Amino acid sequence: MTGRGISRREFAKSAVAIGGVSALAACLDRSSGGTVPAGIDDPANLPDRQHAWDDALATDDAGNPQMPNHHVLLLLDYTGDGAPTEAHRTQVEAALRSLERAYEWSNEGLLFTLAYGPAYFDRFDSGPAGVDLPTPEALAPFEDPEPDTPDALLHLASDDERVVLEAEEALKGTTDTANDHEMDGSFDGVFETAARRTGFIGAGLPAENQDVDGIPDSEPVPEDAPLFMGFKSGFKRNQASEDRVTIEAGPFAGGSTAHLSFIRLQLQQWYEQDSRDQRVSKMFCPAHAAEGKVEGVGENLGTDSGIDECPEDVVESSRREGVVGHAQKLSGAREENSPRILRRDFDSTDGGEAGVHFLSLQQSIADFVETRRAMNGTDVSENSAVGQRVNNGILQYMRVERRGNYLLPPRSLRALPPADPTQ
Amino acid sequence: MNRRQFLAGAGVTGASLLAGCGALSTQSTRAPPLVEDRPDATYRPTHREGMGMAGMAQAGDYMVGLTYSYPHRFWTVTGTTAEQVDIREADSLHLMASVWDPESGMVLPVSAGVSIAVERDGETVADKQPWPMVSQNMGFHYGDNYALDGEGVYQISVRVEGMNERRLGAFEGRFGDAGEATVEFDFAESALQSLAYEEFPETQGERAALDLMQMDMIPTSRAPEASALPGTLLGTSAGADETYAASWLRDAPFLGDGESYLAVSVRTPYNRVPLPMMSLGGAVEADGETVFDDALTAAIHPDIGYHYGAVVASTAAEPSVTVDVIAPPQVSRHEGYETAFLGTPSLSF
Repeated sequence: MTGRGISRREFAKSAVAIGGVSALAACLDRSSGGTVPAGIDDPANLPDRQHAWDDALATDDAGNPQMPNHHVLLLLDYTGDGAPTEAHRTQVEAALRSLERAYEWSNEGLLFTLAYGPAYFDRFDSGPAGVDLPTPEALAPFEDPEPDTPDALLHLASDDERVVLEAEEALKGTTDTANDHEMDGSFDGVFETAARRTGFIGAGLPAENQDVDGIPDSEPVPEDAPLFMGFKSGFKRNQASEDRVTIEAGPFAGGSTAHLSFIRLQLQQWYEQDSRDQRVSKMFCPAHAAEGKVEGVGENLGTDSGIDECPEDVVESSRREGVVGHAQKLSGAREENSPRILRRDFDSTDGGEAGVHFLSLQQSIADFVETRRAMNGTDVSENSAVGQRVNNGILQYMRVERRGNYLLPPRSLRALPPADPTQ
Repeated sequence: MNRRQFLAGAGVTGASLLAGCGALSTQSTRAPPLVEDRPDATYRPTHREGMGMAGMAQAGDYMVGLTYSYPHRFWTVTGTTAEQVDIREADSLHLMASVWDPESGMVLPVSAGVSIAVERDGETVADKQPWPMVSQNMGFHYGDNYALDGEGVYQISVRVEGMNERRLGAFEGRFGDAGEATVEFDFAESALQSLAYEEFPETQGERAALDLMQMDMIPTSRAPEASALPGTLLGTSAGADETYAASWLRDAPFLGDGESYLAVSVRTPYNRVPLPMMSLGGAVEADGETVFDDALTAAIHPDIGYHYGAVVASTAAEPSVTVDVIAPPQVSRHEGYETAFLGTPSLSF
């Protein structure tokens, strides 16, 4: 017990999920005290892309960039009516630059992005120049998501729980310092928090956090699994590169688009009814199960999920096998042999439910829509024994509850950008 | 312990008897050892379970009936493999959802499936997508075992997805959208334990099937007699224990000039339960020429029922037809069906 109303057990599980100054204070008390590397003196030297994370991330043994372990998403509403004021812009930029001086731009320090939704751009005469930013909609006949409509989306990520908690409080203005650096400003009076979401990714964390709805009491999540479903994902060669997801032309060149969905997981059948071979068939492809290609959580796969060795004609393969793999279907969404989206998703226990905050970056929201279309496997279902969800990848075990689309501007335009920066 | 409970427990293994009377009121007593040397065919299971009504409601275009029985083992199917799902200690019951057309009473196997959320006092007790299943006495339904949180009232919400099977005839334009409904279910252990339960120590394993249950409120799935299919019956054929009936329709409102329709209805032996979620290929030869060679896709029609079909550019009177099973029905199975319908035969009509 820390004496602050949070039990040790709860705390150990969910300091980031709990959030706020008390969780931060508890976290600082409890921390074994490693120092967090400080940031850069002149933030102007950081890459122009807010989403330039790969070079700042650790890599695993195979060379895959590893997402930071802890994440906070803040859905923010701008407090002003109409177009943002210069004063507010200056305030937001000052706050973000303070974070960049406080924390190293890395997984050991802090990585963050600030993106804007269609609702934000409604305050201007037209949408963001040169970028198609649709309002979110259902992307499968069998889903019925609530649209997320905040003005902005802030993503904070670090391997250190203290960092995401402290950066959040510093931005809210509830603490004056971050990593012992003075803050030159905060979001106070500019942004209000409409929703707060949190999560984690990395070996051990899902097993530690599996006492939630959606995961059976048998505690089936493997100790070394980086995600609740028990397999590694985000292999380097199954991801779009940062270049591939970067907007190439127009005033927002150097930016990207983000899609954030919240997906609930229901893994009782997955872990207590499906066999290991069935799980491998559904996550990767039936050939991987037949050939025993996936060991444990899939570390042995290296830098790709081996999808080139799954039959390329997804419908034909599904007709024969009666089951189709999630990764196998996604191979159909490639363009010029590259995946279209860069996954930056992580698991969640928000609300006491097992879930995924599926955050992905792509050049255009259309790239996400196309990728999701492939994952739906509707063509497979219509032409084979595979059901629309049964035996159709992992669709039986998940439900999309929320969706939101965002423009992730280049760093130079991240503070309350105008819809047309050329004007 | 009343007499019924005692009888129910009569077939249990020593281990669960040792667990005491408490154990008799739970699931573990309702699963006699599986038949040894099960045939690769429909067989008479070790026992039959009765069924209780949990609720019924209209959900969009659909009617949904919820029933329950003792938790039981079942088998999921991927490809040609059936994997046994064991009863968990925590399982309270086997919950089943039947979906049908309120106008015709036809049971609809919707491959997009059904989601069921079980709640109590606003707390989620279970939330999953039950398996599409066939059982000898229930026919086609969606089912799974559920662990409830004791006796009392539960809210069970069911969402039936829109169909992506082809809908023909009077079904055209219907069942395209999802429907949702919530029913209240008062779960009482005594009601569950009073459901019929009968073992067949003498006849289990024989090549036979339990009779389809006749219920007042809920229709069971049954394909038409082959002779009652519309069009010209090209023939019937036995596959991996399942029966195929091929019909050739030269006249139907959904056909254009010069077109006919090949319908292949696949059903279980004995009970004529339609078998959905198969991959079938078909070839049609007329006057010595191949006029069709492609996939047959799942469809429903008021007179044909659930079937696999294709529109063929031919008006030949009696073509010769070959049907290849590429993948057997990917529906889960109750006991007595888990070793049947797993082959990939080729058939000629």
